[in-house]
Amino acid sequence: MIELRGIWFKYDKKWVLRDVNIAFKRGIIVMITGPNGSGKTTLMKVAGLIYRPTRGEVLYNGVNVWSLPKQKRLEARRHVVYVHETPILLRGTVRDNLTYGLKIRGYNEDRIEEEVESIVESLRLRSLLDKKAGELSAGQSQLVAIARALIVKPQILLLDEPFAHLDREKRSIVSTLLREYARERGMGIVLATHDEYLAEQLADNVVNIEEIQGGQNIG
Amino acid sequence: MSFIEALSIAARSVYIAGTATLLAFTWSFPLAYTMSLGRRARLLATVLESLVGFPTVLVGLLVYMLFSRSGPLGFLGLLYTPYAVIIGEALLVTPLMTGILYRVLETTARRYWEVAVSLGASEGQALATALREAFPAVIATVVMGFSRAIGELGVALLVGGNIKGYTRTLTTAIALEVSKGEFEDALALGAILLVIVVSLSVAARLLLREERP
Repeated sequence: MIELRGIWFKYDKKWVLRDVNIAFKRGIIVMITGPNGSGKTTLMKVAGLIYRPTRGEVLYNGVNVWSLPKQKRLEARRHVVYVHETPILLRGTVRDNLTYGLKIRGYNEDRIEEEVESIVESLRLRSLLDKKAGELSAGQSQLVAIARALIVKPQILLLDEPFAHLDREKRSIVSTLLREYARERGMGIVLATHDEYLAEQLADNVVNIEEIQGGQNIG
Repeated sequence: MSFIEALSIAARSVYIAGTATLLAFTWSFPLAYTMSLGRRARLLATVLESLVGFPTVLVGLLVYMLFSRSGPLGFLGLLYTPYAVIIGEALLVTPLMTGILYRVLETTARRYWEVAVSLGASEGQALATALREAFPAVIATVVMGFSRAIGELGVALLVGGNIKGYTRTLTTAIALEVSKGEFEDALALGAILLVIVVSLSVAARLLLREERP
């Protein structure tokens, strides 16, 4: 479980998050709504342990992650994965992208191959596997970015506008898979999306970011 | 001017500009990297960007004063040597290279660093990934630095002295040939300069195309 407790975050001089309190639990799909610029992405990145909050605590299974030594923090980070709104793929092939997270975790070749086979099958990516990342369409890139995150089987998966570039068929495949991962594998999934219809079909809870911003602006 | 002499001048120009570019890279990259980590580096980046257009002749004058016999570094005896030109050109291309490298690291590298971290990379693994992804842009920056260095005249003339067979570069040789009214030789040297710059640029593009995702 990831819990954000009294989180404040500012860019330069502007507070983007003000006293935010929220918890993301395993097996639950949460949808974050809110207008553009309301801090959804920042919230996701703080929860994804990418951004260190200006104030407040980010607890992973009850432990404040930012007070942990580097190695322990890395272990926590490996259970929480954030996927950017604009898919950012690494240079190389789709296979290189899919295997990146597994390689840095030190998985052996057989295990990597097994995991790649499984995700390729689930998201119907076989025809793309040996394509260069730069040759993919926006939708294909987004699908690969989602696959690259799912393949490492995080306990908490944070998806920023995951359906933005996907066609109807791919949205259906992804949402079915996300539901399966949440229900059967206990993955906690957080979606920041404008696609309210699809998200409401998927989400167990809907949270408006403006309603969880507790504090007033401070200097 | 003989063909051999022209080639010799071209080779010296490549050596001086190449060494100056590499020298500038050795401090520009760490500086840009340090700047990209800090939140208050934008002002410094703006200053560096404004220095990109610094007149080469002024850089030459400052380096001349630095290395002249009565200057603070006069005891090194570097004035009118290729080393003085290398140092001068390295200083000249530093704002350009640092400014661009900062932008590269601030945008491209930071994006990929974030992706790597979000996928569970350690800080070392994330840095390696970010640098690998920024590699094409870093190469492009080096090519730009080299093109600026090999094409400049002010530094090479003032601190190199255009000594035949020692500090004469393509640009100083062109200036000399024009002053003598030898326009054919000047044009031939200009063509060599152009071929070097364009070839390097094309080679970098081909390399980067191979490297594209």
